[in-house]
Amino acid sequence: MIRQISVFIQNDSGRLAHVLKTLKDADINIRSLTIAETADYGIMRLILQDTDKGLEALKNAKIMANETNVMAVEIPDKPGGLSKLTDLLADANIDIEYAYSFLPQNTSNAIIIFKVKDEDEQKVIDLTQADPALQVLERDTLLIK
Amino acid sequence: MENYWNESYECMPREQLKELQKKNLIEVVEKVYERVPFYRKKFQELGISPVDIVELEDIQKLPFTTKDDLRDNYPYGLLAEPLKNITRVHASSGTTGKPVVDGYTKKDLNMWAECAARALVCAGGDSNSVVQNAYGYGLFTGGLGIHDGAEKLGASIIPVSSGNTDRQLMMMQDFGSTHLTCTPSYAQYLGESLRKKGLTPDDINLKYGVHGAEAWSENMRKDIEEKLGIECFDIYGLSEIAGPGVAIECSDHSGLHIWEDNFYPEIINPETGEVLPDGEWGELVITTITKEGMPLIRYRTRDITRLISEPCVCGRTHRKIDRLHGRTDDMLIIRGVNVFPSQIEEALLRAGEVEPHYLIIVDRKGALDTLEVRVELGDSLKLNTVRELEEIEKKIKHNIHSITGLNAHIVLVEPGTIPRSEGKAVRVDDRRKI
Repeated sequence: MIRQISVFIQNDSGRLAHVLKTLKDADINIRSLTIAETADYGIMRLILQDTDKGLEALKNAKIMANETNVMAVEIPDKPGGLSKLTDLLADANIDIEYAYSFLPQNTSNAIIIFKVKDEDEQKVIDLTQADPALQVLERDTLLIK
Repeated sequence: MENYWNESYECMPREQLKELQKKNLIEVVEKVYERVPFYRKKFQELGISPVDIVELEDIQKLPFTTKDDLRDNYPYGLLAEPLKNITRVHASSGTTGKPVVDGYTKKDLNMWAECAARALVCAGGDSNSVVQNAYGYGLFTGGLGIHDGAEKLGASIIPVSSGNTDRQLMMMQDFGSTHLTCTPSYAQYLGESLRKKGLTPDDINLKYGVHGAEAWSENMRKDIEEKLGIECFDIYGLSEIAGPGVAIECSDHSGLHIWEDNFYPEIINPETGEVLPDGEWGELVITTITKEGMPLIRYRTRDITRLISEPCVCGRTHRKIDRLHGRTDDMLIIRGVNVFPSQIEEALLRAGEVEPHYLIIVDRKGALDTLEVRVELGDSLKLNTVRELEEIEKKIKHNIHSITGLNAHIVLVEPGTIPRSEGKAVRVDDRRKI
């Protein structure tokens, strides 16, 4: 399971900068980031190189941050790479709540981060085992990619 | 077995209580007519004199007194005793204009302490109690009012006053405080701070909270009770009449007994001044029938409540006022609708997932009033999806609409970002320039 941090960001100028500066000052590298926004606020989702340290730094700065488990799958970086995965999940009626890509430094493959319902996680693992092109990554393997 | 401080008065049969009220009313009317030029003039304008007051119901012939009358007679114009007989002067924080001043004789202070002692006994107090009094000491009536009541009761008082949250928590842990007396918003803040320090109600000895001086909801009570592990009692007082102890909840928590032997209550329609029957909501009007220093005749408190005259299970015969709905001057008129902050609070807490920390922002765009409610998210919220947050917003919006009929714009904000107060909470920011 991959540990993701979700941060609540009010739509006031400087809030995003404040969150990022907090992580910078704690010397935390952001491996992946996505923001879901509404008119008044956003939820920023982060994969950090050091989750515990990052969470602590954010909490100390009184930033609202909580942890969620997400999944990571390594896929071929070529047309249709991602649809191999989404086809599998669609056929099995597994909903993806949200997804975003991870920036690997040490592989030419692509990596997708996504959230499914907790009870669907094991199903995803089982389904992807049938296809050698789809590699479910655990936390430690993700962070060295 | 119910405990009383002064059973013969607190449980006096209604008929006997009415006789006492009548006697006291007649006396106070004679006194103000004789000694306070303001009242003599007002009575004369209405063509009445003390001889017209024969029965208790005749009180309706008397003129009202308003906060403006107190300001106009600043500082000592309404005193019915020479200054040498005045033992203490209290004044309300004048947010607008001059403060409102009240002078108490020794007998007045004793009466108030008696009422506060009765109140503390209603709230589980006795001579073994350790009262951590976190009401502000000074011109504000909260601190000294509770202090005198606790002293009369023979409890141990910690006169810590308001503020310095760390010290408050330390005392709760080390001094064995059984009672916390302060404003409800401060009690809530203390509860929150206790939790933040990693402490639980088991780490303190607190059993009862006595809170007043601002309107608070049932949900806020539950929140304080849970966070501090106590039973909370709503107490009522106002600096023009007497501080805390004018009325208090008993253990039945079904309204606040108003000590009618000293404070004669009426409920009126705030727009017409018409006296309403018991049970109907309106503005509370109090006549201080035993006060010497600055007796007030039919003082309009601006507090919205109703009188509950059904007998109470606790055995006390004094009628109850219901929990305050707000003040006529807290009341916001938004798009022609009367709204109290307490209603918004109710709507928020019913929705769950948010903290009872909020700010109501009223503005005007063109000819239309806008209502925005900022509310803090609960700390533990998972933040899984935007949809979940939108659901919370929708629920709050729906609740506000069903309670007030108004559409509000809901803004969810981070925990801890709405300014906290150590005194009365600031809930409303009215930006309309009318």
